[in-house]
Amino acid sequence: MIWSFDLLILLFMVICAFFVIQVKDLLGAAIVFGVYSFLMCLLWTEMGAVDVAFTEAAVGAGVSTVLFIAAVHRSSRQVKPRKRWRRPNKAVGLIAAGLLGGVLFYASVDFPDWADPSSPASTHLSPYFITEALADTSVPNLVTAVLADYRSFDTLFETAVIFVAGMAVFMILGQKTKESAQVGIDLTGGYEDTIIRVVSRALVPFMQIFALYVVGHGHHSPGGGFQGGVLLGATFVLLAISFDLKMVLGRMSEKKNLLLANTGVLLYSGIGVLSLLLGANFLDYSILHTLLPSTGPVVARSHAILGVEIGVAITVMAIIILIYTNLSSGGTNEKGL
Amino acid sequence: MELLISSYNYWIYIILMMIGLYAMLAKNNLIKKIIGMSIFQTAIIVFYVSISAKKDATIPIIEHGKGHGHSAVISAMDYANPLPHVLMLTAIVVSVGTLGVALALAQKIYDRYKTLEEDEILEQLQEQAVSDSVMTSSGCDNDK
Repeated sequence: MIWSFDLLILLFMVICAFFVIQVKDLLGAAIVFGVYSFLMCLLWTEMGAVDVAFTEAAVGAGVSTVLFIAAVHRSSRQVKPRKRWRRPNKAVGLIAAGLLGGVLFYASVDFPDWADPSSPASTHLSPYFITEALADTSVPNLVTAVLADYRSFDTLFETAVIFVAGMAVFMILGQKTKESAQVGIDLTGGYEDTIIRVVSRALVPFMQIFALYVVGHGHHSPGGGFQGGVLLGATFVLLAISFDLKMVLGRMSEKKNLLLANTGVLLYSGIGVLSLLLGANFLDYSILHTLLPSTGPVVARSHAILGVEIGVAITVMAIIILIYTNLSSGGTNEKGL
Repeated sequence: MELLISSYNYWIYIILMMIGLYAMLAKNNLIKKIIGMSIFQTAIIVFYVSISAKKDATIPIIEHGKGHGHSAVISAMDYANPLPHVLMLTAIVVSVGTLGVALALAQKIYDRYKTLEEDEILEQLQEQAVSDSVMTSSGCDNDK
């Protein structure tokens, strides 16, 4: 907690945010937004939120930037100046932002001091999680324990939201006529770089092994299903960028992706239903020790967290690939970025 | 000075939020609006994460050997609050899902109107509404 370091990063973030919305080139805006995300990930590491920083590095700085580039590539790159003064948009925006800012600045006087250990957010529920999670679940990473055990309902439905978002992208872009898919700038020429292809082909297996480690070792180190799933999805996105979409779809066809996305959510809720069938509450993992040999209720919770994380990882991976393949090809799955 | 250090970071989150809201309302380009939405989201996420920070606390991972067999007592003061981390971790992953949906919608709009500028889309919508009302000669407003 070094306040001057935080101040520096936060000022850089404000500068980046300002330039992102001012720059006229949308590709440039996407890259500066990636820088913004990366600064934020640095800030969170410094604040002690390592799991969040890991997620942001993979999602915000990585996948989001690629999605923006894919969308810009399929549409127009330049921001055109406003032709006519149709509506006083700027004035409305300034007034609304000013009002919101004024109210929040007024309220910020009553906020607890920054990093105050006795602030309301850190006094009621969270001390229980910190002191009891290891004894309850034998998971040293408190974020994983809270994510997949104490708040497992929350995580189940977040996974379902990701699943629904992937389905929405698939349904918006999936039904497309051929002629409308021909729009966009052609960037494919000159991108067949041997060095990029060889390096990315060599790196992908290691990245995937690391992603599996992140999923499996989430109990003891930063990481877990979300981060590992995003990393697994990102390896396929890397292949799709350096080679082409056909190569990725040859390995992970759309049908397979849809199937995997379903499997992940089903695995998660299946563990919940299993504990329901054994006589406990939905997602109360401790009862599973009757099925797992030589485990007590505590270790059963630890193992069930791993199962849940694997389900999350499968869904997140499939949905990331699905969103990328649909966005970059305009739903046709023919030619990517 | 004391007040400045204890709450300057909240003010910066508010500034980020204002930038995001301004971009969502005032920018003409749809991709810029989506970027504004993302900035607004991250401002809220960074606010949540920052309330989990504690002075002199470490990351919320308990080191090996501690607490097993209750030899050492785990003090809640020594670890950052894990609860906001959990909430925001899932929020970030969901935000990439919503970003995908928003970009898919923008792409669909581009395919239909060949532009991502709000004023040009509105123009085309109004022209279409006029031609529709001429065709049906009922004068109904399809714009609404």
